[in-house]
Amino acid sequence: MRLPALARTTHKWLALIIAVQAVFWTLSGLYMTAVHIDIIHGDHLVRTVEPRALSMAGLVEPATFAQSGAKSVRLETQLGKPVYVVDAIPGHMLFDARSGALLSPLDEDAARDRALFHYAGSGGIVKTELLEVVPGEIKGRPAPIWRVEFEGFWRPTLYISPQTGGLVAKRHDLWRIFDFVWMFHIMDYEERTDVNNILLRVATWMAVATSLTGAWLLLYSFRRRRRARKAAA
Amino acid sequence: MFLIRTLHKWFGLILGLQFVLWTISGAMMALLDHHKVSAEHSVREPAALIVPADTLPLARVAEAVGGPILALRLKPLGDGFVYEAATPSGVKLVDATSGRPVAVDAARAGALAAAAFSGSEAVASVRKVDAADVETRKLPLPLWRVEFADAERTTLLLSAATGDVLERRNNSWRLWDVFWMIHIMDYTKRESFNHPLIITVAAGIAWLALSGLILLVQSFRRRDFAWVLDPVERLRGGPKARVRES
Repeated sequence: MRLPALARTTHKWLALIIAVQAVFWTLSGLYMTAVHIDIIHGDHLVRTVEPRALSMAGLVEPATFAQSGAKSVRLETQLGKPVYVVDAIPGHMLFDARSGALLSPLDEDAARDRALFHYAGSGGIVKTELLEVVPGEIKGRPAPIWRVEFEGFWRPTLYISPQTGGLVAKRHDLWRIFDFVWMFHIMDYEERTDVNNILLRVATWMAVATSLTGAWLLLYSFRRRRRARKAAA
Repeated sequence: MFLIRTLHKWFGLILGLQFVLWTISGAMMALLDHHKVSAEHSVREPAALIVPADTLPLARVAEAVGGPILALRLKPLGDGFVYEAATPSGVKLVDATSGRPVAVDAARAGALAAAAFSGSEAVASVRKVDAADVETRKLPLPLWRVEFADAERTTLLLSAATGDVLERRNNSWRLWDVFWMIHIMDYTKRESFNHPLIITVAAGIAWLALSGLILLVQSFRRRDFAWVLDPVERLRGGPKARVRES
């Protein structure tokens, strides 16, 4: 087989196997580059809160958490009130810093209040539910967790921890689309996390071979015209 | 079809190099083990210390910090506990039993890093980082860069304000990061994949892939598949099939 024919044959056979995935790679790549990552992360969904100075007078002393097996203690403001977020050996706990009352696990109203406090959009809450199993869009986070969905075209959703009262994650459809195209980009159709899976490794090296044979083929693809022009001159 | 072939050819000529670079950098990133690249096992789980019962009361903390406190954390640092106070002028650390200010200096940063490091190798160097570089991008400055004498040149990056280990680097990451730079086409800072250059090229390459897919349809003839179709048709009873073919 002559070289141009060999280049063409290998390129087209490799492409036959990899072309559909190449289209997935480029279209998913285009989406991920075109929509800014800050928008994907949903930074615009939450308000930036200027922290105010804490008043220490009359607060429960952090030393009291020694008996609950605290590994670390954080004093912060939630909904305008001082609270302690305690990371203890049995798990996270939330206390009212003035009365020392245990606030966790937070009930639905407390979760909604916190979600409304953080949310920067104008729509109201559509649905609030306590999830016992974390959904794929927040995998790795501790359960149970409050899921608060807001009105809006992109289904903005905030996740509030019932144990710490903190905002754990923010999601909307642009994030969900990103996660979906990421799945095609890394070819991990189950967990969407393994960037070293064997399918991806094989496919990427085939793509290398396809692009290199394509480059090789370019050497022959432009020559004939130049010759034709020379002949015409 | 002729138009699509011409476009495929010209897009390939102009953008083909980036396509080659994308496939190679993508293949290399898929090859480099992510657990190693992220130095997942380079930091050990710290021993669980319980808040001491003689922890300084809040009034004394406020006195030691000496200004408004926006948030306060009582956390382990090294062998003891500290209060980490967020103030309008930055983070202040106070020893949780004596009330004395705690500074994260080179010696303390080195000791904290050595305690956190899961390997047995010694600290090779401790250096303060005041200006962002490739290794410390996106991290709050200033920080301490503590490098170990292991084969991977594992490096822990600690906040100079809080003493926390913020990031880990090693040679696998450094190699991965070169391919990442090529992949996201941000050759100076290696952090953004949302710039006009990459969006434009990605749109062009998407067309290159799509036109290639379209061209496949006309690039194959029946004879390309004769090696599999002929035996199949012979099995099905030959002559009929051959009539259909013509």
